[in-house]
Amino acid sequence: MEQARNYVCTECASAVPSGHKFCGACGAGVPNEAQTLETRFFGALQMPGKARLIVVRGDEAMGEGLSYLLQATEHVAGREADQIPFPSDNWLSPAHANFLYRGEKLVVRDEGSLNGVYIRIRGASPIQIGDHFMCGQQLFRIDATPKDTSGPEADQTHFYSSPRRPSAFRVTQVLEGGMDGIVCCAHEQSVQIGREDCDINFPDDVHMSPRHARVEMSGESLELVDENSQNGTYVRIRGERELSHGDYLFLGRNLLRVEVTA
Amino acid sequence: MIVCSRCSKENQDHYKFCLGCGAELPRQSSKPRSFSAPTPPGGTPSQGRTTNAPQVPQAQAGRAEALASAPQLELDPAPVEPARAKPVAVEDLLPPELAPLSEETSPCPHCGSQVPENFRFCHVCGDDLHAEASGEAFGDAPAERVSAPAVADAPQPAAARARLVLIQPDGSEGESFPLSGGRTLIGRGTGGIFANDAYLSPEHAEFRFEGDQLVVKDMESLNGVYIRIEPEVPIELFDGSIFRVGQEILRFEAPVAPDPAADGTQYMGSPHRGYLGRIALMIGRESTGNSYPIPPQGIHLGRERGDVVFPEDGYVSGLHCRVNSEVGHVFLTDVGSSNGTFVRVSNESYVPQGTFVLIGQQLFRAEY
Repeated sequence: MEQARNYVCTECASAVPSGHKFCGACGAGVPNEAQTLETRFFGALQMPGKARLIVVRGDEAMGEGLSYLLQATEHVAGREADQIPFPSDNWLSPAHANFLYRGEKLVVRDEGSLNGVYIRIRGASPIQIGDHFMCGQQLFRIDATPKDTSGPEADQTHFYSSPRRPSAFRVTQVLEGGMDGIVCCAHEQSVQIGREDCDINFPDDVHMSPRHARVEMSGESLELVDENSQNGTYVRIRGERELSHGDYLFLGRNLLRVEVTA
Repeated sequence: MIVCSRCSKENQDHYKFCLGCGAELPRQSSKPRSFSAPTPPGGTPSQGRTTNAPQVPQAQAGRAEALASAPQLELDPAPVEPARAKPVAVEDLLPPELAPLSEETSPCPHCGSQVPENFRFCHVCGDDLHAEASGEAFGDAPAERVSAPAVADAPQPAAARARLVLIQPDGSEGESFPLSGGRTLIGRGTGGIFANDAYLSPEHAEFRFEGDQLVVKDMESLNGVYIRIEPEVPIELFDGSIFRVGQEILRFEAPVAPDPAADGTQYMGSPHRGYLGRIALMIGRESTGNSYPIPPQGIHLGRERGDVVFPEDGYVSGLHCRVNSEVGHVFLTDVGSSNGTFVRVSNESYVPQGTFVLIGQQLFRAEY
């Protein structure tokens, strides 16, 4: 006694090989499942080549641990987005960022958001005047040293300026709401940020490491260096950025981890 | 290791209270160390005071040597740049326990922790290390009470109702400048003791009397007129108020924020702790350098102590002034600094008898 080796037509009991939509003997329809031998995944998460976003720290409405499978070609995240919504985070623009595939590569594109998309740097990263970056709960901007406006008047009166020394650049803390906070002009060639004994100190920021990051002028260019901080240093991306497995992104208050299965 | 007598928990040697039950841990008897703070004779210029100090604690030895090696008579060495205004050039040395961390340490007699030599209290257990040392460290006599005789070169004209007494860089009194009962304009263009001050505008300020009160008016000068504020008397700061501490010009800036975006998105940033505004260091006509936001509890400024410190400005006192808020207004208060805190006159101001006025690079006392 043996089992029939093919699908058996429910009308006429003839064998129907895979790939047939109708029974060759009686013309009865063949159910979808029996038409091909394609094996499906139990869940979409098993699909290869597709990336996931894991919400490591979410806002109140969207819990932590939530994950989004990026199985379409474009996925918009934002306060009023359909695909990746974060409705209660008012630091997010309605359509904030777009996760999309370019060929095999996943990229994130800032959709002209107010507050931008931040990616965790690995080690050191080049940075420019005007760029923003985050350490712990703090947001910073790199500014140029302003032009010297302390020269004498036409009538030869000298301007009394506070003592100062040459400074290659400055780091400005940006406060929630947009006001500037601490401004620190670089001593020599670098500005060190951390909890204690740095140029800019945040003793009460529990997400910041004692020595967290520094901005350094090397030659003519600036570099942002993460000093093996526990929570990392994030830099605001310009335009779009290719993502790879293990990248971390801040969108407003939400911290996302990128997972790309091979 | 200290074993708690109540709960038997083992605690580290420097703990004051038991980690397990909170009971007070046994104290060793504290042995006060011999320490004699140099007592500054009232009003002696610091150079003499420091070099004569019999025992200079470690942290200050370097500074004292530097001072000692300077020519004794050269109280006001020629500056490299055009001289900056120097409010009474007294090197306001910190009490030794407040000087920068000493590298030398000695064990705390109470808890045994290694404590920097210049600490007065143990940083671990809070024990008073110099219980017998006298407390005159803060009692610096005001620098202006230097006993040099007033050099009254210019005999006062009969019409003079008041005079501006020049305070020289070493703290002694210099020439006097008479002020009549009418309007007296001073500036680089008016000559005399003002002629060589490159920081004075040609027409800088005008003095006049209103009743019994002397009034100064800033004639839209470049560098302004500064008046020393009384210690412990709060002066309100407004957006753009400028004040001077040592050699530093600081501006108070009220909080400003950009308008929120039309789509309701808020600007993200560091936590905003209800800042009252900022103080910013003026390094040009409209440019500022380092700046610090002022939290609701206020901030202290000083050379070594406080939230904002000026370790390189010898004219700033260890703890100099504070900026804080009361009933929704922001105030500046001098906390007993040696050289004073000066507020820039906005348009005009009364000048009470005895007030110090900083004009250009020179400091005067108004007497009438």
